[in-house]
Amino acid sequence: MDPLDHVDHARLKTLQLIGVASGITAGAWLGAAEAPTKMVTLGIPPVVVSLAMVVGVFLARWSVPALLRGTGAIGDDVRQAPHLVVWAVLAGCLWAVANTLTIYAIKDIGLSIAFPLWNSNSLLGIVWGVVFFSELRDAGRARWFGVAGGAVVMFAGATLLASASAKQAPAGHALRGVAAALAAGVMWGTMYIPYRKAYLTGMNPLSFITFFTVGELVMMTVIALSDQGGVSPLARELVQARAVLFWLFAGGFVWVLGDLFQQYAAKYVGISRGIPLSNTNQLWGLLWGTLVFGELRGAGAALTQTIAGSVIMALGAAAIAFATATGAEHARWQVAAHREGARYGVDEHYVRAGLTGHGTTSTRRSWVDWAVVLLATAVLVGFGLVARVPELALEWRAMAALVGVSGVLLVGTGWALWRTTGFN
Amino acid sequence: MAVTRNRLTTILRDVQFWVPVLVLLAGLMVLQWIR
Repeated sequence: MDPLDHVDHARLKTLQLIGVASGITAGAWLGAAEAPTKMVTLGIPPVVVSLAMVVGVFLARWSVPALLRGTGAIGDDVRQAPHLVVWAVLAGCLWAVANTLTIYAIKDIGLSIAFPLWNSNSLLGIVWGVVFFSELRDAGRARWFGVAGGAVVMFAGATLLASASAKQAPAGHALRGVAAALAAGVMWGTMYIPYRKAYLTGMNPLSFITFFTVGELVMMTVIALSDQGGVSPLARELVQARAVLFWLFAGGFVWVLGDLFQQYAAKYVGISRGIPLSNTNQLWGLLWGTLVFGELRGAGAALTQTIAGSVIMALGAAAIAFATATGAEHARWQVAAHREGARYGVDEHYVRAGLTGHGTTSTRRSWVDWAVVLLATAVLVGFGLVARVPELALEWRAMAALVGVSGVLLVGTGWALWRTTGFN
Repeated sequence: MAVTRNRLTTILRDVQFWVPVLVLLAGLMVLQWIR
């Protein structure tokens, strides 16, 4: 039975709303991922920090899908569209290199200039969405204006926020830093091509990320080995950093929760809307920094700038959130999905079911799934037992409020996703 | 086997494969340069 035969306007609207909610939830959790890493105050090489976070990411990217759908469902997805494994690994490689570039960019030009430069990825995402996947086609002028205008407004807000959060002057390698930040933006913007390709073809986001993380971990390990000069020096750094590895793993784990919602946003509202919405992570990161960790305390002008930047960024996100795809635009997505399916010989029923949030694979758990979850939990608990808690003055009430809001977004959007699509 | 080869050929003829690949290579070159 063809799922699209039963898709009415109301279901498409519901899927769009879930996509928007996923984008907003992604922003909150991607921003919250910065909190555990702030517990790391030791002088650990940046590439080692990045590698440790990727290990946490790897644990989450296998255990969360195993818990929610089971690895059997991942196998079913791969049998339907095996070619997408190549794109998932490729996207993971892009992420790892981009993430490493941002570390160098921050070092060379400071966060204030680097952050808005790489956040320009949302503008590139709009270009790729329109060119390759028929996004915003037949959308009408108002929606074009909402998405493109909203992204530009968010970019302006991000620039204000980043400038306000500047803690250090540029280190003197301006050209190198700008090149690194722009390259990271281009890489992250392009990384969404594989995302959208996978979801148009019907693949479940929970399956896609398990292969994505293989590319991520392999590429990050190669970069770290090359940076540290071999296995022994890298192992020595990791052993020396063992007391803080838990915080980095936790940062990676929280980041994955945000990224998971980002994947659903890319699936249900496309990359032209999904990327800008999840880029509100900068706003949430700053909320954690200022309200919980006491950054910008006593900085009068910077605080005003922060509030102005936050309002501008929120307005841009709202413009995008209200510019949901019309039935005519969705019809163009279906044509693009049909073209993808035909090109790679993917079962049309599978493609259409995925596009409309219906599942075609079984979601039974086996002992393998529970073993994966137990192993990931054991690693986190093990490193948690040897973790050192730094002496930091935290604003506990602000932390409780942020955790509460993020928790409500996680549970609310997760529940809506499960109820409407069964995490498909 | 023929199906796998056919799929591989399709991937290699897909511009949406080459765009991320070229961007990845360019990113690696930038990383090499700044280090």
